[in-house]
Amino acid sequence: MAALSRITRKAMTTTISPVHVIQRALSTSAAATTATEGAKTITPSADRVKWDYRGQRKIIPLGQWLPKVAVDAYVAPNVVLAGQVTVWDGASVWAGSVLRGDLNKITVGFCSNVQERCVIHAAWSSPTGLPAETSIERFVTVGAYSLLRSCTIEPECIIGQHSILMEGSLVETHSILEAGSVVPPGRRIPNGELWAGNPARFVRTLTHEETTEIPKLAVAINDLSKSHFSEFLPYSTVYLEVEKFKKNLGISI
Amino acid sequence: MGTLGRAIYTVGFWIRETGQALDRLGCRLQGNYYFHEQLSRHRTLMNIVDKAPVVDKDAFVAPSASIIGHVQVGRGSSIWYGCVLRGDVNSVIVGSGTNIQDNSLVHVAKSNLNGKVLPTTIGNNVTVGHSAVLHGCTVEDEAFVGTGATLLDGVVVEKHGMVAAGSLVRQNTRIPSGEVWGGNPAKFLRKLTDEEISVISQSATNYSNLARVHAAENSKPFDEIEFKKVISKKFAQRDEEYDSMLGVVRETPPEFPLPDDIKDPKVSQK
Repeated sequence: MAALSRITRKAMTTTISPVHVIQRALSTSAAATTATEGAKTITPSADRVKWDYRGQRKIIPLGQWLPKVAVDAYVAPNVVLAGQVTVWDGASVWAGSVLRGDLNKITVGFCSNVQERCVIHAAWSSPTGLPAETSIERFVTVGAYSLLRSCTIEPECIIGQHSILMEGSLVETHSILEAGSVVPPGRRIPNGELWAGNPARFVRTLTHEETTEIPKLAVAINDLSKSHFSEFLPYSTVYLEVEKFKKNLGISI
Repeated sequence: MGTLGRAIYTVGFWIRETGQALDRLGCRLQGNYYFHEQLSRHRTLMNIVDKAPVVDKDAFVAPSASIIGHVQVGRGSSIWYGCVLRGDVNSVIVGSGTNIQDNSLVHVAKSNLNGKVLPTTIGNNVTVGHSAVLHGCTVEDEAFVGTGATLLDGVVVEKHGMVAAGSLVRQNTRIPSGEVWGGNPAKFLRKLTDEEISVISQSATNYSNLARVHAAENSKPFDEIEFKKVISKKFAQRDEEYDSMLGVVRETPPEFPLPDDIKDPKVSQK
């Protein structure tokens, strides 16, 4: 930790402290007294790292919980898996998602995909009798920017983009949630139906052809994830950059 | 080390050099499509010219969050993974004990169509849910902004007010104390019961405790991380399915003890 602060302090210009003075002077002159009072009660730490060359770790173990990723699952480097998270085979978690299993378990089932910028969290306890863990079963497509919290998604579903599933909701097999739908806590989306809206309301039942399309979509995205996966080398060569960087700053390796 | 040790070290070094030369050869073969790995340039706390963020030392800021410009974060607050707090044209003030959950966006505007915009102020002990978008609004103490909510310019959420998940609160709406507003556009839904109000305050406290666990984990230096990996591999619990395939029966593993802070809030209160 001290080494990191050394690096960041060396790498940064030394104009930060007079900058703070300028900032406080500017805020007093603007008569924003609350801002200055707030600034007085905040005690920033000199050791806070403003820039870490390591970036954000993908897999964050909490206590004894270690997120598990299957060998052929694609997890984008942007993603944060924290706590009790299991990503099963063939699944994919796309860029910018946050799967935070710190209060309860999160599982992404076989051949499922969690698309970009989703946030999946699990509450401590759920209002319904269902387990409070978030479990996404097999062949589920969770669309981009969705927010899932303590919900159970049974096999072969499609969750539309930007949908919000609250605590204790259950999405049954072969159902589709349209984009932008909000499922209030404790709601159940029955088998084979299409629901939409905020709050989610019944639209129509799905035809048999549409039902067979659902796992095909998951498999198609699985195929796509394989090409993304192959872009990354098994071992990164960034350690060479780190060595160069440290040599520049005169820090011994 | 002795001569044998030194010899082995040198051989290892040659092998590494060979490997790196092969890597460079592979890069040349890839030609224009070769990818050059670089260090992460993501800056958690970034200042714009002279506006620097001021973050309290007890606040948890996730490394993948971006705190840019004139932002103040108070004591015990937590800014979770992937958040962006952008105080570039105006200021963002986050009180103490507040949590801004994952992938949220707190933004300010310098002026909008109607006139000047106040800085975004988020009070103490506020819970801002995942992926919320707060743009030029004021959220007072102990309020609750639901998951995925969007609060536009000039919105004021009073103390103990609650914005339901997925709602879009239009400009200059005022959400009175103790009420739940939701939908698109946000309308009054119902009043909060006293129990729910206390749950909101409790959730903020729980989140502070959780933040401490995450903060400890995220600020580990490299050596500690590697050490922990080795230890966890050594004491790893075998997968039950794997065991049953082999026909092995192990004694039931002990329950993982949770750190005290994030135990069930009802239990820890007793």
